[in-house]
Parts: sequence; structure tokens; C-alpha cells
Amino acid sequence: MRDVLRVAWAIAAKDVRIEMRTRTALLSSVVFAILVLAILYVARDPTAVSALEIAPAALWVTFSFAGLINLNRAFAIERENDAMSGILMTFPNITGIFLGKLAANLIFVGTIQLVAFPLFVLFYDVPVLTNLPLLAVVTVLATIGMVSVGTLLSSIVVQTRFAELMLPVLLLPFMVPPVVGAVQLTSRILANRPLSELMGGFKLLAAFDLVFVVMPILIFSATFDR
Amino acid sequence: MHKGPLLVARNATRRYGFRTIVRGVDLSVSAGDVVVLMGPNGAGKTTLLKMLAGLMQPNEGSIERHGSIYAVMHETHLYETLTAVENLVFAARLKGSVDRPGIHRLLQLVGLTTWQDNRVMTYSRGMKQRLSIARALLHDPDVLLLDEPLSSLDEEGCSLVLGLLSGSDGKTRAAVVVTHQIDRLLSSSSSVGFLVGGSLHGPLPVDGMTVADVNRRYRELLTNA
Repeated sequence: MRDVLRVAWAIAAKDVRIEMRTRTALLSSVVFAILVLAILYVARDPTAVSALEIAPAALWVTFSFAGLINLNRAFAIERENDAMSGILMTFPNITGIFLGKLAANLIFVGTIQLVAFPLFVLFYDVPVLTNLPLLAVVTVLATIGMVSVGTLLSSIVVQTRFAELMLPVLLLPFMVPPVVGAVQLTSRILANRPLSELMGGFKLLAAFDLVFVVMPILIFSATFDR
Repeated sequence: MHKGPLLVARNATRRYGFRTIVRGVDLSVSAGDVVVLMGPNGAGKTTLLKMLAGLMQPNEGSIERHGSIYAVMHETHLYETLTAVENLVFAARLKGSVDRPGIHRLLQLVGLTTWQDNRVMTYSRGMKQRLSIARALLHDPDVLLLDEPLSSLDEEGCSLVLGLLSGSDGKTRAAVVVTHQIDRLLSSSSSVGFLVGGSLHGPLPVDGMTVADVNRRYRELLTNA
């Protein structure tokens, strides 16, 4: 287990270093997030729809699609110069590779969320500060689920000719359960509903996470054409 | 190190769809052996190397490995955005421990110390090949698989590879080398095999064989194929 975690850390640290150097995916995702938040804000008719009604959907549309842009790159960097073969010849532990990629993707998507969230607060003026811990829990739970499946699918589509088109097609159906759950929970949290009303949603997201993290670990090795 | 053969392929066959690329290859490689493989383009040489390295599984037959193996292929397995040092540190982290003086020695061996902090994307093909060899040596493999190792290297780089095959670094390792430059490699090899149409002919021991003998045999096989 220690070896698996060591490899995961090495891969995550390498991915973060490469992304920090190029900033390709991160910058595109952040710009995309800002645009989506701004467009949805401008498109809303404040006399017909309150900010509270549209805010949860705006937040999760932004998080989901901005994250999607980033996930595309997860395995593309391994495809260049067939770097994945170098990893496999050095340490052929598939679980370590998956966990490393997952950790790096969580860092990237988390960074986008950290940038987008203050803008969301600025645009929608919803009661965020008092509900920050609960919103953080929803965000973490939903993000783990969708990024984990996204990491698995990214490893599959990178071997296809139209990887960037294929990832959204394959991933969006899997993103529906955690994102719908997250939108509903966010909506209730912003409406200051009691915690007892939220617990069911939290448990559901945690269950999705369990399935969406364990399942990819189990089938990740099958994504390599060996 | 394992006493018997380090690498044994038995009836190894690999197909892509309905097309058989490598057909029933039997090969045994022990420590100190340097097996050179020759063959025309598309004969299945790279596929065979990938199978020997464990990067591909044979559809039929088996491959036994009794030691560490690393393959230096046409693709360098390097990250272009990282520097030479960062690439080697990453590989060392995967392996277990980072020995920075050891990494520096390897870069010195392959003649890249001057450029060690430059990103790989700024390197020439030959420099990338040298770094790829350094990455392979970092793992200190018992079996080294080399795909056209001399193709992009200058004279100094070629001497480095030939020296490694002769065990000039003090390590008795086995090697399987795919090449079209038999004139450069014959003196460093112990046997020569010919891969034609996916089938391996040989390997034949090099004892007393000249480059002309090897080329004649190769031409005969190509003519009869």
C-alpha cells in the first residue's frame, strides 16, 4: 500500500508540475468558468427569477463543465512520447497510477472551484458565508465522484482519435447522479433548510463516491491495451 | 541475478485484428547475451520488443521474465515540459528512492549535464535518445531492450550504447537490440535473429560470422519470404 501511495504521489506531483508550467488546461477552465457564471447572470431576468433559484444550477453547470475541460488532459500528457509505457515498465501498479491521476485531477478541479466560487458569490449575492461548511462538504463529495469517473473515462478516450469529443459524450451520463444530487443539496443549503433535510442527500452523494471511486480502481487496468 | 535465462518467449504470437504481426516466436535470453534482431519495416520487431517488455501480452504463447526489464523504444517515454533532471527524478520516485548524485552521474555518462536543466522539448532527437538511455540505466535493468538505439545518435552516443552492450559500466546485463545497422553492432552481439513476416529465424550465434554473412542470410530470407 505504501508503494501504491508513493507512486500516486509521484504521478500527481509530476502532473501538477507540468500543468503549472504550461497552464493550458487550468487557464482555459478558469476562463470558461468566469464566462459561464457571467453569461448565466446576465441572462437572468431579476424580476422573474430570483438569484436563489438559479444560483445552485449556475454553480454546478460551471463546476461540471469547467472540470470536464481539465479532465481531457489527464492522460493526454501520458500519450505524448508514450510516457505511460515508461511508468508501466518502472512500476506496473495500475492502482497507484489511477490514484495519482485522480489526485492530480482533484487538485486541478479544486483550483478551478476555488477561483470560480468567489465570482459566484459576487454575481449571485446568495447567503454563502453562513453555509460555507455545508457547501464545502457538498462540493467535495460531488467533485470526488465526477472526477473519479472522469479520470477513468479519460484513460479510455485518450486512445481514441476524437478524445476531446468522446469524453463529454461518455462522461455526462455518469455525471448526472452526483451533479443532480449536488444541485438539490446546494439549493436546500442556500434556502437555509435544516440539516436533517440534507442528510439523505449527503448520504446519497457519499454512496455515489464509494461506487465511483471503487469501480474505476477495479476496472482501470482493463483500459490498457496490453 | 537469476541463474537461468532472464527472458523466455515460447510460441509468442500477437495479432491486431485478423492480422498476425508476431508469429510463434521462441527466444531465450540469459545474462551477458546480446541478441540483435534484424527485419524489414513492419516485420513485427517493435511489437515483439513490447511483448518482451510486458507492455503487450501475447495472444498465444507465453513470455517469462526473471529480472527487471526496461525498453528504450522510438518513443522516448519522456515528458517534454520537464527538464532532464525532473524526468529522471520522476522515474526515480516511481522506483522508490531519489539518488540525486546517481542521477547526476547518469547525466554525465550520457553527456547531458550542460543541458540538464533545460526542458526536454528543446532537445534534439539524439539528446532525447541519450536521456531515454539514462532513464533506462536509472532502473539498472537485468535485460535492456533497445529499438534502433543508434539511429539518432552521433559517434559519441553510438560509442556509449556499444559500451553499455559490452558491459563497460561493469554490469553483466542481457540485451535484445532491434537494428538495421548490423555493421555497427555485430561485434558487440552474441547472436543475430531475423524477423521476417512476424516469424523469427534464429537467433544464430555470431561466432566467426561477418557482416557480409549476416547480410547474405538476411537477403536470402527476404527473397524466400
